[in-house]
Amino acid sequence: MKKLIPLLLAAAAFTACEKDADTDKLDNKFVVYTNYDKQVDFKQFQTYYIPDSILIIGDKDKTEYWNDENAQRIIETYVFNMDNRGYTRVTQREEADLGLQVSYVKNTYVYTDYGYPEWWWGYPGYWDVPYWGNWGGGWYYPYAVSYAYSTGSFLTELLNLKAVQGQNEKLPIIWSAYMTGMLSGSTSLNVELATQAVSQAFTQSTYLTNK
Amino acid sequence: MKTIKYLSMKVLAITAIALGFATLPGKAQTLENYYANIDWQFNFPQSDGFVKKGSGWGLNFEGGYYLTENLSVGAFLTYHSNHKYIPRETIILPENGSLNTDQQHTLFQLPFGVSGRYTLNREGMFQPYFGLKLGPQYGKLKTVFNVFQETTNTWGFYVSPEIGMNIFPWVYKPGIHVAAYYSYATNKGSLMTYSVDGMSNFGLRLGIAF
Repeated sequence: MKKLIPLLLAAAAFTACEKDADTDKLDNKFVVYTNYDKQVDFKQFQTYYIPDSILIIGDKDKTEYWNDENAQRIIETYVFNMDNRGYTRVTQREEADLGLQVSYVKNTYVYTDYGYPEWWWGYPGYWDVPYWGNWGGGWYYPYAVSYAYSTGSFLTELLNLKAVQGQNEKLPIIWSAYMTGMLSGSTSLNVELATQAVSQAFTQSTYLTNK
Repeated sequence: MKTIKYLSMKVLAITAIALGFATLPGKAQTLENYYANIDWQFNFPQSDGFVKKGSGWGLNFEGGYYLTENLSVGAFLTYHSNHKYIPRETIILPENGSLNTDQQHTLFQLPFGVSGRYTLNREGMFQPYFGLKLGPQYGKLKTVFNVFQETTNTWGFYVSPEIGMNIFPWVYKPGIHVAAYYSYATNKGSLMTYSVDGMSNFGLRLGIAF
């Protein structure tokens, strides 16, 4: 067995000789992942509601919201794209067919069990189902999702507010988008990356329309 | 006519010089029962859609023992990395997912095993040979996108015919080694929406000969 050790060490040394690709060639724009419920007819919805703040998932126990001008620019990008797809924004969420909730992961140290799609649901102050109405059964994902997260990640979930409410009913999430990437030292550039990613999420979700 | 005659004489002269060099004895070289090569190599993947761009990120190590004056057996280990940039695109994933990103692909190949050579003109300055390498190959597919990476490890059987030449222009070793090879390995693997079924390559080696 002792004779094997130098061989194993040599093998490990050679496998370490792999030359990594030049990541400077990457465009550094956000990675955009989207998924949706294929059973849903998106043309049945007319209106949507989006809060005026972005929930920040950070390392604090206290709920934080981001609603400065940068956050408003990002929210406006969602509004622009939803309007372009034929949906009408309403100011009362009780009147909306769809709810759009946006969260931002501020750092990478809060959750470690990424890969489990609902890891953010346990975050203190995360969007509660009762915020949207009476769905006592909690959230319901009708499709499998796989998320990882790191610094600078936006989570977007589109909720079907027309779904039957009740103590045992679940609120379906019919579309989700996960946008993430390395952040730069420039806030304006980071906001630009975020707004590009939001628009890209809609671009690659051609089914998300009522036209 | 005069030009053709002149060219013919020139070709004959070059051929005679080349043959003369090939049959010259190595200066004070004594026949030894072993050989070794360490090479830098340039590898061009041929058969897979994951990476198809040549690179010089590889080395080759080989050593052997002469069973007869011309026939030798030995062992080798080679490794190489090839890369390919994939411009930003939207990839359709299973379960209704879509992923928009650009990528850097890396194909890392590490074959090792036994080698055999038939070498000509062992006492000459130029010692051409035909060789064959056989063994297992470890292959790794990797994609890097933004802060993420995914990898797939594969194993396959590797075979590689090779022609080359050890050149000993000086009295003492080491000399120069040049070679060209083709290789095929049975590695299979998939990564995201990409799949690889067999890895074939052409390549060149330049190094030192002991």
